[in-house]
Amino acid sequence: MPDWLTGFLGDDVGFWLGYITNGKHLAFYSAFRFTLGAAVLGSVFALFCGLGGAMLLRSRFAVLRWIGFAYANIVRGVPDVLFFLFFPLAFEQAVEWVWAQRVCSAEDIAANTGHWPPCPAANWFLSTPEYFLLACVSLGIVYGAFTTNVINGAMNAVPSGQLEAARAFGMSDAQVMRRVHIRQMWIYALPGLSNVWMLLIKATSLLSLLQIQDVVFYADRLGAPNFLRSVGLIHPDWRWHYYLVLFIFYILVTMASERGFAWLRAKAGHGLVAEEG
Amino acid sequence: MDLFWNNPFVGDLRTLFVPSLFNLYFAFSSIPIGFVLAIAMALLRQSRNPVVSRLAGAYVYAFRGSPLFIQLFMFYSIALSLNLSVWKPNGLDVFVLNPLFLGPFVLILNTTAYAAEIFYGALKAVPRGETEAARAFGMSNLQVFRTVTWPNMIRLAWPAYTNEVVFLFHATALVYFSLPVIDEQKDLMNKAGELFERDYNAFLHFSAAALYYLCISICIFSLFGLAYRRMIRHLSPGSAPGMRFAPKYFR
Repeated sequence: MPDWLTGFLGDDVGFWLGYITNGKHLAFYSAFRFTLGAAVLGSVFALFCGLGGAMLLRSRFAVLRWIGFAYANIVRGVPDVLFFLFFPLAFEQAVEWVWAQRVCSAEDIAANTGHWPPCPAANWFLSTPEYFLLACVSLGIVYGAFTTNVINGAMNAVPSGQLEAARAFGMSDAQVMRRVHIRQMWIYALPGLSNVWMLLIKATSLLSLLQIQDVVFYADRLGAPNFLRSVGLIHPDWRWHYYLVLFIFYILVTMASERGFAWLRAKAGHGLVAEEG
Repeated sequence: MDLFWNNPFVGDLRTLFVPSLFNLYFAFSSIPIGFVLAIAMALLRQSRNPVVSRLAGAYVYAFRGSPLFIQLFMFYSIALSLNLSVWKPNGLDVFVLNPLFLGPFVLILNTTAYAAEIFYGALKAVPRGETEAARAFGMSNLQVFRTVTWPNMIRLAWPAYTNEVVFLFHATALVYFSLPVIDEQKDLMNKAGELFERDYNAFLHFSAAALYYLCISICIFSLFGLAYRRMIRHLSPGSAPGMRFAPKYFR
């Protein structure tokens, strides 16, 4: 804090400015990168999962259709937090199991029954970047199930005349799908996709459940009663201040994304409105 | 028969029965109150007084625009910080800080906002001609609401409200991630996590919990579907939209 600024604002404001820019608070602010990063990366994964799921749902082969149906409905039938916790754990265990087949001797595994991993050498230690990536993938899988439905509905909404015209030009099924169907589908999918994005944004608050030091983690740490033996009680329980900040942060993000999607819809629907009118 | 009962999956299903009652308690203690409050909130939002309708709109926006997880944390920490000054002197702390009270409290605040949005949408979609006809018969405002607006609104909102109830039930999984767990008061996720920490078998325990969520969701959905069929029984087939398991709004 430069002196002239403290003199200008008064000691109190100076203290608070110093307080909210101390090292721990800067770490808190930088933890927002996890939240926003997970939202962006998760939505990219969700889009891919959704496209894949919709392709499965519309596949010519019954088995693939069943897989798509099961994916879209089972994932939506259980709470997102369950899948969010389950997927990284299951993935980690699967990798450890495969790895254990290579590095563990049979005696090691026999000596270690009832414990995980099968032998200590197969232990895969996950740190924040890996957990973060796994969290994004599981967000993608969960919200991909919702996206599947949205995209499937949007593909049904594409006027059949367009597809027939494409077919009349001699395009193959794959070409019709790639060049016409998927491209025309976006405008119908946009309202549904904006809905899924809102859900995904809110689900990013769960990152701390996977030991990622995100904003919820820091809000809990910074707000907890602070006691030093040499100084005494520095501050009592301030957690609700921090949670209120997060509450407002999410509302602002929602507001901004609503604006963004309204703009996108206006832009994407430009030609369409003229066509209908 | 013994082979059946000794199956680890069946064992898990039996262990998880009591925890599932906690989820059901959270959901069904908040749904009726949330329903009444949501209708009140939707009516307030339609009020002619701009201050009232703005405030109701802001409430709905705030609670729909932020995660339930943060709301739970926020209200718990607010309740904690009021403990020494308000709850404890009055001997209320055991009651107010208990998740069995605080959990439904936050869920009610949350579901009120989501359901109010649904009912508000339905309220706006009530056919104008019908209310005008009722008024032309000389009905009072209350009569118009009771005989025309209310049945129309409920019927229009019911499919979306069903989804809201199912996803409120799913949201109860979050309660014990943010509120303290007291003794054996554990819900499905807690218990599944505890079983997981015992033998690290994620596939077994989490799929048992998932099966509970799935089955209860389907039960809720079909019960509400039966109610819906009763509501639309006087309409010609195909004129009312069917029920679909597809959420528009949820946390």
